[in-house]
Amino acid sequence: MVTILKGVSLEVKRGETLGLVGPSGSGKSSLLMLLGGLERATSGTVRALGQDLSAMNEDGLARFRRGNMGVVFQSFHLIPTMTAQENVALALELAGQGDALERAAAELEAVGLGHRLGHYPSQMSGGEQQRVALARAWAPRPAILLADEPTGNLDSTTGARIMDLLFGLRDQGATLVMVTHSPELAERCDRVLRLADGRIVA
Amino acid sequence: MTPARLALRIAAREMRGGIAGFRIFLLCLTLGVAAIAAIGTVRSAIEGGLAAQGAEILGGEAEMGFTYRLASEDERAFMSRIADRVSETVEIRSMAGGPDVSTLTEIRGVDTLWPMVGAAVLEPAISVEEALAVVDGRAGAIMEPSLASRLGVSPGDTVTLAGKPFRLSALLVREPDASVAGFSWSPRTIVSMEALQSQGFLAPGTVFDSEYRLDLPPDANLTALKAEAIRTFSDEGMRWRDERRPSGSTARFVEQMSAFLTLMGLAGLAVGGIGIYAATATWVARRTSTLATLRVLGATGGVILGASAIQVAVLSLSGIVIGLVLGAGIPNILAGWITSSLPFPVSFGVYPVPLMQAAVYGALVAALFTLWPLARVADLRAASLYRGGAGQVPRGFAVGLVVLAAMLVGAAVLFTGNWMLTLSMAGGIAGTMLLLLGAAWLLQRIAAGVSRVVPRWPLLRVTFGAVAQGGGLRTALVSIGLGLAVLAAVGQVDANLRQAIDRDLPTRAPSYFFVDIQTDQVDPVLQRLNAAPGVTEVKSAPMLRAVLTKINGRPAREVAGDHWVLRGDRGITYANSFDETVVKGAIWPEDYSGTPQVSFSAEAAGEMHIGLGDRITVNVLGRDIEAEITSLRDVDFSDAGLGFVMVFNPSALAGAPHTTIATIRSGEDDADMLNGLARDFPNVTAIRIADAIQRVIEILTAVGTATRAAAAITLVAGLAVLVGAAASAEAARLREAAILKVLGASRAWVLATFAARTVLTGAAAGVVAAAAGMAAGWGVMRFVMEAPYSVAVGPALGIILGGILASVVAGALFLWRPLATRPAQVLRER
Repeated sequence: MVTILKGVSLEVKRGETLGLVGPSGSGKSSLLMLLGGLERATSGTVRALGQDLSAMNEDGLARFRRGNMGVVFQSFHLIPTMTAQENVALALELAGQGDALERAAAELEAVGLGHRLGHYPSQMSGGEQQRVALARAWAPRPAILLADEPTGNLDSTTGARIMDLLFGLRDQGATLVMVTHSPELAERCDRVLRLADGRIVA
Repeated sequence: MTPARLALRIAAREMRGGIAGFRIFLLCLTLGVAAIAAIGTVRSAIEGGLAAQGAEILGGEAEMGFTYRLASEDERAFMSRIADRVSETVEIRSMAGGPDVSTLTEIRGVDTLWPMVGAAVLEPAISVEEALAVVDGRAGAIMEPSLASRLGVSPGDTVTLAGKPFRLSALLVREPDASVAGFSWSPRTIVSMEALQSQGFLAPGTVFDSEYRLDLPPDANLTALKAEAIRTFSDEGMRWRDERRPSGSTARFVEQMSAFLTLMGLAGLAVGGIGIYAATATWVARRTSTLATLRVLGATGGVILGASAIQVAVLSLSGIVIGLVLGAGIPNILAGWITSSLPFPVSFGVYPVPLMQAAVYGALVAALFTLWPLARVADLRAASLYRGGAGQVPRGFAVGLVVLAAMLVGAAVLFTGNWMLTLSMAGGIAGTMLLLLGAAWLLQRIAAGVSRVVPRWPLLRVTFGAVAQGGGLRTALVSIGLGLAVLAAVGQVDANLRQAIDRDLPTRAPSYFFVDIQTDQVDPVLQRLNAAPGVTEVKSAPMLRAVLTKINGRPAREVAGDHWVLRGDRGITYANSFDETVVKGAIWPEDYSGTPQVSFSAEAAGEMHIGLGDRITVNVLGRDIEAEITSLRDVDFSDAGLGFVMVFNPSALAGAPHTTIATIRSGEDDADMLNGLARDFPNVTAIRIADAIQRVIEILTAVGTATRAAAAITLVAGLAVLVGAAASAEAARLREAAILKVLGASRAWVLATFAARTVLTGAAAGVVAAAAGMAAGWGVMRFVMEAPYSVAVGPALGIILGGILASVVAGALFLWRPLATRPAQVLRER
């Protein structure tokens, strides 16, 4: 077993925007996954919204994420067999929220994709896919939004639009934790943590 | 939204994408289900035909039959009491003669009621009564067309039966109750009972069977009547049949054959299961990111498993339904052809029971082979998005696998109703699969060894190295290995039987049997035979027909079960000495005349659990003779010679009318001798062993063909699996070809190594299957046929070639892209 994170102690406040930066392999993505309960720590504890994530099993974590955690990935991870609208609606359905399809349409409208509801991921550009992913993550209004290099696969113009959307969500009250390589993005965060070799160095 | 509805909704959205990646899955399932459904449909059609037309097939609602004699007064009284009408027929073997030729025929004597049910079709279209009438002092005879043409006669000509003149009045196009006669040695001639009796055909001592067809009142209780008849008359050798099961031997044959073929179809389905497994595993792997994304969005393992299982279930259901439609449809489309090639009526239609059974088999196999890959998704972690890798299979699922496998075998036992056959075939299939896996492991080690000893020949090194590493060898062996092995076994047995019959039998078996030699004819006939040129050996023995009815005073079947010695009547003889070795006890003295003694076949006695000191009762022409077993002999029935299960001391059978049977060996053209015998001793019937053997070969060939067809199902399912495996290996080949090309390999070089791997794996599957076939062939010849076995090289080579062909066909479909694609396209996509 390889220990990826060592002696990391971190607290994120509600409504805060935190940037995680550092070279490849420094452990920033692993830290993000730990925060989202997508990965379990081999030792130590992860608490979120007053609950101990390290005590939950996979299904417990899945239930916890519903409505509490939104995740945006570098490579979008839309479900290829579902339309944009269905991808977004699914998050609402899993979170047990009503009117999933209607609200999904509204969310997509909000990210400027009102005309692409019935399109499949393979029919959309990278920027469009990431906007769908963003709408999907944000639709259930989670308390915490995690983003793993959300603009890493996009050209700079498209990336900038995504970032505007993302920081727009902060203004709607989201707690945002973001892994990024981009110094400009990091600058826009309330706080920036630098990781190297599994430790927080700044 | 409930988890179930969520799972359903996710499944529905995913499924809109179509069935890409599931073609092999569907093909494997559909093929197996269709085969089993088709076999079951044909079986039901045959059984339906037998049941619906039982009375017509039997020629009456019930039948009482006797050997060597007509019904007694008591029996006639019983029949006329229970039946409205009784029709009497007899069957007797005899020689039919034309102007130049004489040949064996089965004479059927019929009374004026025949046929009581159904109609005979004659050519010219005259009535049976007219055809059998006496015209100008000659009784009419109806012959099968094949017989008439062999004799060179046509309606209107005179023919002889056992030397007596008859008038050939018509040809027999259709005999309504022909199929119950079962296995017939020779073509049919129909004459009237009256003619037979007046010409002395039914004299005591001649070999004939009599059958009485009963037209019962509508309210007759067949079960009760059968029980009463058996209780009263079975000791006198009475046989009972009724319309519920008009042809016991046919029904039994159909039952066993369909059970066997169904199990072969199930084996095909199981082989297809490998394809089902592979397709499901690939699908699950391909969906890892989708499933992990669902996890990220908060889906529980249950929802993900549910959504996956629903899709697999819907696909399985479609595969099963298509299979059922094909399985029910194809036999009905081919109904005309099937009906005309079977000797009994078949009523086609859609039979729900076999379809239901095929559906159960399909569902169980689908569940069995998708459970494992599906189980992985239940525990899939969200982190798989980053890390890749599949989930662990929860332990409970292993129990599920065992339960499903047990249910599958249980269903097979229940549906075929033959647990011995089912369990031995299940064991055989499982054993063969394990052997194939073991062989794959061994061959991989060998390939690894070869790749190490040829380091300076890169093509060989790369090729053998790939065979040693990849799973291709294992896939090829388990997919087409079983089908090839069954084909190989059939080929070995077939070749050995033919060899035994063509080469060995003539040196072991006599050339001719002569039956019905009357006592006063024995000396002149034997003299004639001994004097004939080319005849090297003449043997003879007195023969009577007898039914073994009791053992130690108890009904024989209670003691010995359904042993073949107890089925129908047997030939018995008497003698003071035998050629065979006495293995236990001692033979009676030459002039013994005390209480009857009998010498029994040691092997049959062992099987029937009887031995020295036991008393057996045989019924000879209505008379009971009880004798004590005083010796056991080693009787060899395999040489088709004069082997008797029971030999009595002469005085025990003194006074019983009998005939003599003789055998000769002859190496020459015997036409003159036969024609002379037929002229001077018209009642003596000559049976050419080669002709009789030919009928047996025909049956064995039919069984072999059916087995081959069933093995072909397994093979086609295996081929589908192989194609699926080749398809999923294409990406890896694409990459490998690109890298080889980057390193400077020409396309020819790449083609050479890929082709060589394909040929090698196919040949390996063929060699292993041929070896398994030889082992099975040896077992069948040694223990079932009790005959020597020698390797049949031709069929074995055919199997190896078949393996190569199958592998090449599957591989060639996916060879082109790796060869044609430029390296940059592949490597940059990565």
